[in-house]
Amino acid sequence: MKLNERSVVHYATCDSPADKTGHLYKKGERNTAYHRRWFVLKGNMLFYFEDKESKEPIGVIVLEGCTVELCESMEEYAFAVKFSCAKSRTYKMAAESQASMESWVKALSRASFDYMRLVVHELEKQLEEMQTLHSLPGTAHSHRKSSGRAKSKSISAAAPAVVTPAKEPQATYNRSHEETVHFTPTSKENGVAWDKPNLVVNGLCPTYQGSKTLPGKSCSNEGAKPPPVPPRRKTATGGVTSTLESPVSPGTVCFSKLHDWYGKEIAALRTQWQQDQ
Amino acid sequence: MRFNEKELLCISKQPSEKAAELGMRGPKKGDVVKRRLVKLVINFLFYFRTDDEEPAGALLLEQCKVEKEEPTAFSVAFLDESEKKYLFECESSEQCQEWVESLTRASYESMRRSLIFYRSEIHKLTGKVSYLLFVLLFFF
Repeated sequence: MKLNERSVVHYATCDSPADKTGHLYKKGERNTAYHRRWFVLKGNMLFYFEDKESKEPIGVIVLEGCTVELCESMEEYAFAVKFSCAKSRTYKMAAESQASMESWVKALSRASFDYMRLVVHELEKQLEEMQTLHSLPGTAHSHRKSSGRAKSKSISAAAPAVVTPAKEPQATYNRSHEETVHFTPTSKENGVAWDKPNLVVNGLCPTYQGSKTLPGKSCSNEGAKPPPVPPRRKTATGGVTSTLESPVSPGTVCFSKLHDWYGKEIAALRTQWQQDQ
Repeated sequence: MRFNEKELLCISKQPSEKAAELGMRGPKKGDVVKRRLVKLVINFLFYFRTDDEEPAGALLLEQCKVEKEEPTAFSVAFLDESEKKYLFECESSEQCQEWVESLTRASYESMRRSLIFYRSEIHKLTGKVSYLLFVLLFFF
């Protein structure tokens, strides 16, 4: 099968961004010795050169549909790139350190067109969702006016978290809402704790006054879910400032629901990614 | 330059975003138009001789330019030799337009640009990096 080789070589050597470069040992096909080569990963194409200064690659491995595995080998820091199609060759490689191996395994696992397409699609959807939310009345300039209201929200939010958990969230919420003045010390604490997703989320839910839902409860459930990746704080804060003054229509723009949705999206994305390994 | 042909063959057999019989002319002087089954899979454009199971060839669609040439034809040229064009003849102007759009989006580089675009648009809306973006940044 012909390939537009000259242009592919140009792609390998041009100044378009490489996802990763570095030295790796690659096991030969017939000659079973490991050879040190200079590797350049661009998208779903893994080029390998004799050395860093070479003008043209010796070869390229199209990575689409591959799986990357750690393998048992005499060589330290070894891993293998495998394909699912019949009679395909397994590429055995070895890195020069543990860190390098881990970094390459991660990079190669994600180096597929399909994965990139999934990521872009998710971002596109996320942007659409956000644009829809932001086009709702009252959201646009809300966060600038919100500082006063934010405090009262956070104060009432503080109550469920600070007061004994044994109490009913709803009761606590009602009480705290009435007694906002008394919670001044808590508000300071809450000022500090503003970053914490639980409190922030709780802070938002009381917007929907008169709602029969148990914002404390739903929000604490929200808080109980461990995020796949640590920094929810930044997100939560970021999310708060943009959705704090969402219209008082329960069910449409409660931040906890939004956060829930994103959480599920991430979980799904992660599962998908792990399955693709 | 060596490449893993078996895997590329495998990819050529996958369901494609776009496939059609088109007139295809190579970039060299003296090349003539031939009927080929042209199939787009990820960032490769495969072309098969009619009734062949395996493609005659593949074009990696990176660092390339796709242009409408005539109402019903488009060209694919690679940036290292931009005067040398592969020409494709379509049945209609609509079909031609569809192919141009699909091929323009079909590179990893173009998806990378979309990623950067969406990321910055989301950043503008939230003012801070969102949850999903942080996951992506963490991975990237």
